[in-house]
Amino acid sequence: MRTMVTLAVASLAGLLITGVPVIAHHSFAAEYDASKPINLTGTVTKIEWTNPHCFFYIDVKNEESGKIESWALELGNPNALLRAGWTPNSVKIGEAVTVEGTRAKDGTFLGNARSMILISTGKRLFAGSSQTNQ
Amino acid sequence: MRIFKGWPMVTNRVEQFRMGVWARGAVVFSLLVVTSSAQVLGQWVMYPTQNIPRLADGQPDLKAPAPRQPDGKPDFIGFWQPDRMRDCTPDLASRVRLTQPCTPGERVAVPNGPGSVPGGLPLQPWAAELAKQRTADLSKDDPHNRCQPDNYPRVYWLPHYTKIFHVPGELLMLNEWNAQFRQIYTDGRPFPELMHPIYSGYSIGKWEGNTFVITTKGFRESEWLDTAGNPITGAATMTERITRPNFGTLNLAITIDDPKAYTKPFTIDMNMKIMIDTQMIEEFCLENERDSSRLFGPGGGNKP
Repeated sequence: MRTMVTLAVASLAGLLITGVPVIAHHSFAAEYDASKPINLTGTVTKIEWTNPHCFFYIDVKNEESGKIESWALELGNPNALLRAGWTPNSVKIGEAVTVEGTRAKDGTFLGNARSMILISTGKRLFAGSSQTNQ
Repeated sequence: MRIFKGWPMVTNRVEQFRMGVWARGAVVFSLLVVTSSAQVLGQWVMYPTQNIPRLADGQPDLKAPAPRQPDGKPDFIGFWQPDRMRDCTPDLASRVRLTQPCTPGERVAVPNGPGSVPGGLPLQPWAAELAKQRTADLSKDDPHNRCQPDNYPRVYWLPHYTKIFHVPGELLMLNEWNAQFRQIYTDGRPFPELMHPIYSGYSIGKWEGNTFVITTKGFRESEWLDTAGNPITGAATMTERITRPNFGTLNLAITIDDPKAYTKPFTIDMNMKIMIDTQMIEEFCLENERDSSRLFGPGGGNKP
């Protein structure tokens, strides 16, 4: 217990010091439409913990059609997520999540995530979106 | 020079380096180590940095004096990210573009990179037109999107961070993005007669008092200076004047003299802040790049 508390304190201290990199570096507006926000609740089916962006795939039930839509959500790169408190195991396959973000301009089931909420615990993770400070 | 009383005399430059760049900080700063350091589970992303000056409450003392190298020159060692928060000083508005006057003593957010130049960039007409077109296209053709290496000085205002080392004969910058390196030679060499253009240019550096002055030439011809698409060409000479006013801050005054793209030299004045309790980790863009085929300007996108 003491180790976990100490680790949590060290993690928090690290986050306060290093901060979260939020400077836009590629053109968000060329890929995503800020006028199309998304708020999706679904089940995680796949995780790509990769550069230059992590991708989380979730199955979302379309309330109108009843069909299952397979969405890809783009997050920040692993370095940004790690420094924001994520680990590759923060979200697990099969976990129920709610994702807030922005939809892609090409109209596909693709979005840029700003945050992800783990439904089982209510924990909110900031996703290192390139939308910030655009 | 004795680092500590009772320690062996350290005179050889290689031996000095072997003592560890962080060990130099121990000369000046207290050795209060984060109490949890022994229990952090080896996570490199959070691994505590040694020899950080600390306040009484254990927080890092970022305003502590800057460390010095054994020869007395300022030590720029550290892992750095751009800092868009600046202290308001009477001269700040002459160095960075402010949207409104600031109150001395307050902290203000300033624009990033070339956007911070007071009065805007002095672009040649063709360059202004090019930047206007690239911006209108939402920067869809930015080479950064396609995993191209980043050129200096653009590296400084991208969210991929730089670690600086002093080694014999050079100052070395490593950047996380595509594991890029940049060498600034301090061994007195001249510029090469024949410069094959490269992303980092060819850099030589020297000290002027406490200021490290870097002169760089030999950039590739048509790089992007920023996401807005302002250009930098092979005609550019870049002069960086770098100081470390305190432990947590680097100040860079970056003057670009590029007569091909700009009507006169201009200076980007920026701060970087130190990142502690974290480590450089590689970021290879080509690992899983997906965005470049989905970028659309008003006129449409590009084929993958």
